[in-house]
Amino acid sequence: MNPTWGDVNVTPTNHNAMTSKIVLAYFIYLPLALGLTLYVAHTLFRNGRVFMLDIFRGKADIADSTNRLFEVGFYLLNMGFALLILRIDQGAEVNLGIDGGGYVTTYSHALDTNQELVEVLAGKLGGFAIYLGIMLFLNLYLFFRGRRKSRENRPLPPATDTAVAAAY
Amino acid sequence: MNLNLLSYLLFFPAMLAIAVWTAQVSHRHGRVWMLRIFDNEAAFVDAVNNVLLVGCYVVNAGYIALVVGRWELITSLPQMLATLTTHVATILFLLAWLHYQNIAVLLIWSRARSRPRPIIRITGQRPG
Repeated sequence: MNPTWGDVNVTPTNHNAMTSKIVLAYFIYLPLALGLTLYVAHTLFRNGRVFMLDIFRGKADIADSTNRLFEVGFYLLNMGFALLILRIDQGAEVNLGIDGGGYVTTYSHALDTNQELVEVLAGKLGGFAIYLGIMLFLNLYLFFRGRRKSRENRPLPPATDTAVAAAY
Repeated sequence: MNLNLLSYLLFFPAMLAIAVWTAQVSHRHGRVWMLRIFDNEAAFVDAVNNVLLVGCYVVNAGYIALVVGRWELITSLPQMLATLTTHVATILFLLAWLHYQNIAVLLIWSRARSRPRPIIRITGQRPG
């Protein structure tokens, strides 16, 4: 009697799980992405203090507190995004048939060579770096805007006699 | 090591070095222009300048890394040289374009600032 499908051990075996470098890629991606976020946020908010002092008219305590609060927000937002885009998919499943009691499942994009590892990591880290750059420039724009608004609402300093005389 | 990987290892550090160098030159020599634009407020200018420098690093390095992932399959040395040169040229043109944009922004902004403006201060009081 020919073996039917039910007699064959059809437990899927994923041969690529052994050779795939996805876990390695995660362990390279995470420190680099999080380190980059720390570096960018640190630089932005070290220099953001000048803007905050300008916006809050030299009140150092409230300027520093606000700066720190926005810094923590920046960390949370961007580290969250870094983790969100972590997942690396292996591509489409390609089934090669039955081999020794199980399916041979391979992937069109197995991530089992160094070349693929470098390409996937470069794409992810590059995209994340550009995103961080856009967030940085957005923050800088908001700093500028805050500074301008604060200056618009500021009462003019008391005019001296010479300034008054010059106005007439 | 295959030729694709070798090209990436040559391409990425070289382009990164050029991008960092361009950014540092702009950082150093753009400062004078920004002092002119922002009324010689040195602390403010340095803060803006430093943030722009880091933004420049991150975006340029990010783009250089992003293009690494999408090269054709390289099988021979002549093909490798040709591909490598094309990609290097693309990055150089892009950096040049960004650089001239930066110069244009500085020139236009500083010209707008240096235009003579009337100083009118309304005080509500007459000179005594």
